[in-house]
Amino acid sequence: MQQRKSVTQEYTNSVLLNGTLETPKWWPYLVSILSFFVLVGIGLFFVQIYYGLGVTGLSRPVYWGLYITTFVFWVGISHAGIMISAILRLTQAEWRRPVTRAAEILTIFSLLTALVFPLIHAGRTWRIIYWLLPFDFARGIWPNIRSPLFMDPIAIGTYLTGSTLFLFVALIPDLAVLRDRTTGLRKGFYTILAMGWRGNPRQWKMQVVGGILLSALMLPIFVSVHSIVSWDFAVTIGVEGWHSTIFAPYFVIGAVHSGVSAVVTMMALMRWGWGWNDFIRPEHFDALARLLTVVATAWLGFTFLELLFSLYGLDAPEIALREMQIFQYPWNMLFLLFLLTGFIIPVPMWLFKRVRTNIALMFWSSIMVNIGMWLERFLIIVPGLSRKTPFVFTWESYTPSWFEWYILFWSFCWVTLLMLLFSKVFPLVPLFEQKESEVFSDSVKIGRANVPTIFREEEE
Amino acid sequence: MINQKKHFWPPSDPAVVRTELINNTKKGGSTLRTIVVSLVLLSLLIMVGIIGKVIIDGNDQTQWGYVAAILAFILSATGGAPMVAIAPLIAKASWARPISRIAHIIGSVSIVNIIIMIPILRMLPPLIVDGTRRRSIWFEAPNYSPHFWDTLGLIMLAITGMALLYSSSIPDFAVMRDSSDGIRKKIGKILSRGFIGTTVQWSKLRMRIGILSTLYFFVLVFVHFIISVDLSMSMVPGWKDAIYPMYHTMSGIQGGVASVIILSWIVRKYGKNQNYITINQFWALGRIMFATSLMWIYFFYSAFIVFWYGRSESDAAWLDLLIRGPMMYVFIIAMLCSFIIPWWWLIWNRVRNSFNGPFIGAIIVLIGLLLDRIRLYVPSWSVNPKLIHDKWLTEIPKILYPDIWDVMIFIGSISLVFLIIIGLSRILPLIGVWEIHQLNLLSKPGKFMKAHGIRVAKPD
Repeated sequence: MQQRKSVTQEYTNSVLLNGTLETPKWWPYLVSILSFFVLVGIGLFFVQIYYGLGVTGLSRPVYWGLYITTFVFWVGISHAGIMISAILRLTQAEWRRPVTRAAEILTIFSLLTALVFPLIHAGRTWRIIYWLLPFDFARGIWPNIRSPLFMDPIAIGTYLTGSTLFLFVALIPDLAVLRDRTTGLRKGFYTILAMGWRGNPRQWKMQVVGGILLSALMLPIFVSVHSIVSWDFAVTIGVEGWHSTIFAPYFVIGAVHSGVSAVVTMMALMRWGWGWNDFIRPEHFDALARLLTVVATAWLGFTFLELLFSLYGLDAPEIALREMQIFQYPWNMLFLLFLLTGFIIPVPMWLFKRVRTNIALMFWSSIMVNIGMWLERFLIIVPGLSRKTPFVFTWESYTPSWFEWYILFWSFCWVTLLMLLFSKVFPLVPLFEQKESEVFSDSVKIGRANVPTIFREEEE
Repeated sequence: MINQKKHFWPPSDPAVVRTELINNTKKGGSTLRTIVVSLVLLSLLIMVGIIGKVIIDGNDQTQWGYVAAILAFILSATGGAPMVAIAPLIAKASWARPISRIAHIIGSVSIVNIIIMIPILRMLPPLIVDGTRRRSIWFEAPNYSPHFWDTLGLIMLAITGMALLYSSSIPDFAVMRDSSDGIRKKIGKILSRGFIGTTVQWSKLRMRIGILSTLYFFVLVFVHFIISVDLSMSMVPGWKDAIYPMYHTMSGIQGGVASVIILSWIVRKYGKNQNYITINQFWALGRIMFATSLMWIYFFYSAFIVFWYGRSESDAAWLDLLIRGPMMYVFIIAMLCSFIIPWWWLIWNRVRNSFNGPFIGAIIVLIGLLLDRIRLYVPSWSVNPKLIHDKWLTEIPKILYPDIWDVMIFIGSISLVFLIIIGLSRILPLIGVWEIHQLNLLSKPGKFMKAHGIRVAKPD
């Protein structure tokens, strides 16, 4: 808070709209490169449809591999938006202001990406329709509506719809700003989206109330989405290591860990890319790192409980699974890497304010966390399945093919491309939040220190 | 002052605050004396109950479930209270300052837990039963590890709680030293340890409170973890529930918040502290209790759906023992009081934004907490000890009703808790003098255009 610089509304408009009303030099090059990789990925998807799932490393007994791991990973990343935006809005955390929009967009694009993965994983993508809709009345074959596999798309769909609405409500005042600064077709586009916003007291009141109501409504959805994804695994009694009651909160806290880290990555890139140094400041990274320290510690506690209670039952197969995960090559290397990148390296780093306010270090530590969190999902899904041998008489392990690795790479290119395209149409940092912060902020002299203050409206 | 009907603010003159709050420790007449004498007599029931139970129920382990449930209830209702002061401290929120002393005092009564633990130590089975090691979190540890670590945990919690209370009271002891006479002056002189409020002393004090708060949180989680597993889960064959310790901790924090609300309401109403404990505290506490009620159902449901959907023998036994078996009605009422009623009650802003609304909600939550602990501990202790090595529970015990000794232990424990709190309130002001000074420095009620609110300062 101490680094806050007082800026005028004109300055806020001109700087924060520099990505929307102008085009940074690097933008077309980066978009072209990403588009190329994305198109290659789409081509590979069609190749997979043509040749079938044989092009992947999936085989008996590991039918869920890298695709499902990446699906869970992106659902996890999507938790950034609501965690940052809704919870911090409800708790009136002042530092949320420049972070919210980026987090909300990340939610939407990562959810869109996550939804693609079950489709890719299905092999014959169109057959998914049979799992969701009753397709054969004559034979009485119905989808099992109690199954988490059925509930998944419903939960993700609801989350996606809610998040989009949430993003849109928060965008309206900025759309009006864009409407008033553009001409021609673009003006028409923003005029429609701004829905007659003039910024009168009633409109502001409705916007604030709408934002708070949506925040409160989105919270249960946010929790339910990853919980339902976790129950895909936890309600299965046939796979060692999956049937655990801790999975739902464990997945949610892990998702928050990876999602907030992804927001840190994105904030650093936005600051570097668009030069928004006056708006995305070290204090915001400091606050995010503090939040991450708490979240990561809770996540470590859940990881410990998950491991401890897998041994608690003293079941030989479960113990054998954990032995394999922790001590046998190559799982042991992955497990070590997961712990190192997920907690042991980043969290002690974040204990130092110098690291928390160093944007480069925060950037790399946040990437590290997401490597760890991806590995966590991989280590939950694959080792358990690879030991599921009694009825398949197959003892082969799973090695992802280059096809699968490319599709994983594709997903990152796809999300980045979507973000860049979004930035050309809408501002990535909310203008109105900055202006509101400017109006509500002040400072007071306490002793010899000049302490920043914020005005909080009381409930009537 | 804002909104004269409901809103109050502490006097801005430090001398007035000091005099009013220190004088509160001296107040008391015949009514208080009668209450204290009654509480002393009722507290003795704890010893009568324990002795009676030892004589009558002898070595029958199955009869001690209610005592374990009382221990878990007192631990949950008091242990979580300091979190009300700790969480806002980390978030640099000033609203909790007037009630942080109350929270610390409730947390420092853990001595009651140690007293109840003594007879339980005698009844708790060792790790090796009939020559075979039973399932526990202690694996290959020495035979009496649960006895040792559970007791040590409770002692650590009591010491940390008292250390936290003492550290946060040092400036008030200094005030007592400087503005009282007689025994209070002597106590103040000894306990303030030369505190005169230099910059270094304040800085050290803040650091000490921060470290002790963090330590308290970790000890609290550890104690909930070992008590919940050793005194209930490991007594039931086949009960493997990784989320259970976290559920226990979370419901403990919910209970702690409820206790703070109840005591704050009493202190405000009967201690004539209307200017100090204001609607802001009740509104914020109401929100926290609402949030913890939602967490309660989430953690419960995370376990429930896995057992319900899993349908293995051990899953079914868990449901039979704790949900639909002998404890079905207790479970239903506990569910109503811990979640459904608080949810539908505290969801209304009008209820949260009042003095009586959160108070009524808190009483309901504590009733729910007591019933929940009975639901969990009584059936666990009622399980036939001969079945301890079974793979899962095959014989569901009948419902056990409390006997006169259980009732005496319960009344005695609650009375002892209140007696300790009243005793401490005679030495220390129940509202921290220095906390109010800081509150006045860091936040001021005011107006912004037409809106009433508070200007809050957040120093680094």
